[in-house]
Amino acid sequence: MSGRWLAGKAAAAVVTLVFVIVFNFFLFRVMGDPTTQFTRIPNITPTELADLRSDYGLDKPLLTGQFVDYIGDTASFDLGTSQRSRRAVWTEIKDALPWTLLLVGVGTLLATLIGSWLGVIAATRRGRNSDNGLLGFSLFTYAAPEYWIGIILILVFAFWIPILPAGLQMTPGVEFSSWVSEVTDVAEHLILPATAMTLMLLGQYFLIMRSSMVDVLTEDFITVKRATGLPWDRVVSRHAVPNALLPLVTLSAIQFGAVVGGAITIETIFSWPGLGELTFQAINDKDFPVLQGVFLVFSAGVIFANLLADCLYFYLDPRVKAD
Amino acid sequence: MKRPRIRGTVGGALLAALAAIVAVLVAPAGAQETTTEDGGKAVLKIGWGQDPQTLNPFVGLDEENYTVWALNWDLLVNFDPEDLQPAPGIAESWEVSDDQQTVTFTLADRKWSDGTPITSRDVKYSLDVLGGEGTLFAGYTSNVESVTTPDDKTVVVKTKQPEARIVGGLFIYILPEHIWGKVPVSELTSSYQPEIPMVGSGPFIVTEFERNRILRMERNPEWSGEEPNFDEVQFIKYGNEDATERALQLGEVDIVAEVQPSTFERLGNEENIETVRGASPSYTELAFNLCSAEDCPDAEFNPAVQDKTVRQAIANVIARERINEISALGTSFVANGILPSFYKTFYETPELDYNPTDVEEAKRLLDEAGWQDNGDQPRTKGDQTLSFELQVRSESQSDIQASRLIAEMVKEIGVEFKVQVVSVDALTEATVRFVDGKPAPDFDTFVWGWGGDPYDPSFLLSLFTTEEIGNSSDSFYSNPEYDRLFREQAAAFDDEERKQIIGQMVDLTQEDLPYVVLTEDPNLQAYRTDRLSNVEQQCPADEGGDIFCEQISYEPMLTLALADGSSSDDDGGGGSGVLIAIGVLVVGAIVYFVIRSRRRGGGGPIELEE
Repeated sequence: MSGRWLAGKAAAAVVTLVFVIVFNFFLFRVMGDPTTQFTRIPNITPTELADLRSDYGLDKPLLTGQFVDYIGDTASFDLGTSQRSRRAVWTEIKDALPWTLLLVGVGTLLATLIGSWLGVIAATRRGRNSDNGLLGFSLFTYAAPEYWIGIILILVFAFWIPILPAGLQMTPGVEFSSWVSEVTDVAEHLILPATAMTLMLLGQYFLIMRSSMVDVLTEDFITVKRATGLPWDRVVSRHAVPNALLPLVTLSAIQFGAVVGGAITIETIFSWPGLGELTFQAINDKDFPVLQGVFLVFSAGVIFANLLADCLYFYLDPRVKAD
Repeated sequence: MKRPRIRGTVGGALLAALAAIVAVLVAPAGAQETTTEDGGKAVLKIGWGQDPQTLNPFVGLDEENYTVWALNWDLLVNFDPEDLQPAPGIAESWEVSDDQQTVTFTLADRKWSDGTPITSRDVKYSLDVLGGEGTLFAGYTSNVESVTTPDDKTVVVKTKQPEARIVGGLFIYILPEHIWGKVPVSELTSSYQPEIPMVGSGPFIVTEFERNRILRMERNPEWSGEEPNFDEVQFIKYGNEDATERALQLGEVDIVAEVQPSTFERLGNEENIETVRGASPSYTELAFNLCSAEDCPDAEFNPAVQDKTVRQAIANVIARERINEISALGTSFVANGILPSFYKTFYETPELDYNPTDVEEAKRLLDEAGWQDNGDQPRTKGDQTLSFELQVRSESQSDIQASRLIAEMVKEIGVEFKVQVVSVDALTEATVRFVDGKPAPDFDTFVWGWGGDPYDPSFLLSLFTTEEIGNSSDSFYSNPEYDRLFREQAAAFDDEERKQIIGQMVDLTQEDLPYVVLTEDPNLQAYRTDRLSNVEQQCPADEGGDIFCEQISYEPMLTLALADGSSSDDDGGGGSGVLIAIGVLVVGAIVYFVIRSRRRGGGGPIELEE
């Protein structure tokens, strides 16, 4: 029973992934022919352009040539070669991925911790000033666009109070004497973008945790626990929070898509050399193989996160098993 | 049996994680000072929005490529930063034969950065292979018949027709054959990435290329020319122009090689920052579809656009100064005809320059040609109407702005321009469309731009030749007299003679108006005055080129120097204080909550089994 349920979820994930792979191909072909942007290079000859098109494989028929090649390559885990840098797309992604994971990881971790912690505080003080204040703050950061938050952070902490670097992931051109100083340097550069990321995500975690906690706190078993004389702190931390955590799991998975979208913007603002930057430049250059690769990684990430959430739910919530 | 305490697991894990973060943040703070760069090294830092995607000249297509290549390698004949005239490069001298179809180059006694002598084999390899296969370089050798090397120090280039560009504009970098020649051409034109350090002949060679981060060039150990003032040039990538300009304001970089028109003025008002506006060989034009029924039987356009009088009337009312002020925010230069004033050696302001505007003259021209004035409506003649589509690229705000201004200006004389903002693909398609093997342009007018080579104007002039129809020509202008003059100027090795001929070509196009060239696009740069001295605009001088002759010559890079009192390592360790502060706050907060929860929860309540 439970095995079949999981298998169903996994099959759905695979189908989604296949759809994404097919869709990716056509999505970027809509952007037009990447060689058109070279027609204005002085002295480029029509022969050269034709060579370039055949290099890129654009001279083949769309469906029977390009699409078949693409599916074949993708199926054998070959994401192709970047049309512009002429490096393997895998190499490009491998260079950028750790930076994105670092930024997204720290941002998500902090947002989850702080957001849910603030949510618990707000829920237990419902209707009081601290609740209203936190609610206002979260709605504000939730509503504020991430690029705006990023620019304000740069303005305040790099220009007005110049204590933090405005961008990049480490001081360029420096030979670090040890890994310790290198890590410090990266940590310094990480503060502003990670803060922007945290602020961007914080609101949702807060709101979900708060409403979930408010629900749980009105349930009968909480009243019973209190009646047994258990201190309020203990009731909250041992009985209310674990029960309120469930929606947070789903949110983390669903959020993954938003996180990726936000990462593209935040990385661009802070010159953070991750997948977002890679995407930004690939869009500018119409570098199809890179775009396909990056989107495949992003989509696979979202699909996997959702699958993971399903599995977690399976273990966390007995009701799923009962179904 | 009791279940494990939640606080004991989740809480403990959280604490451990936070402690780990704090440890990372706080522990190494004292080591910060060691992260500054090696003392005493003079480093020039240049910020750019994008970095080259690959350094391989066979497939590299980015503008930034030229910036690096021009420092790393010489051309056979370099450009003089003063006036862009031919100057010794790999060749120290050259001789043109009497029939002007053979040029004999004598090479200087120079070495590659790895110590290997530079010989005629390198030159032949580069002209033949890079000039034959390099996407950006193939156009330059179409007229070359043969390249021969009688000895190590002599190269003989034979051409099919006499061509002055063989001396003054053979824009093909000379690569070390002993390195590139070992790689099969099929690999060079696909996935080959140059070996680092990138063996070169220029004053600096690439010693590190971390794509998306930094490109480092250090002194060429075999460099025999004037000693550079800098030990190292770093190009730092910021991903976009805004971030690059911020880095300049914060003093992270010394030069921004490309400033946006929208921020140019504001940046210039900043303390310790100077902005530089230089000429460039590129322009923005209003183009007309002049393709004849014979050349383009399936072209689609309003035939009224091919009435020369109409174009002249339009040229008479387009106030280029105003377009520059409004759409380019005053950062461009007003253009006069198809040759940018950047080409100092050959430029002369044309007599017929439609400046200042003359609305009455324009109206008179149209009246005389029989275009009936319909008040607010466009003028008509028979079944023809002076109503045109004006296509413009969506990606260029300033072009869109210029198009709207033009539409407003021509309205006054009863001409209607319907501005259509289209994608660059759509505009390309409209200009390069073919039907049944013949060009079939589908537009009336458009606003777009071109960029030319330094020194040699042949490319920009070639755009109006009949030969380029179905190729680069996008006005489809055809005039046998112009074609004849074009061939004549290309073959003219004497500058004065060539200037005369080019003057006649410009006059022809000012009369026929395939283009109304609106503005000459500038090089906008900015640098830190507290970091740099000896900054001069060159390439060309006087007219105002750029700070370091980007993409053209390495000479100015030799004279640029650090300003007095500017230290070579100015890395701020400001962030470590913040790290400590944050660390202390985090630790404090953790301790506070732990103590608080202990105190509150420590009362020993009754634990219930669930």
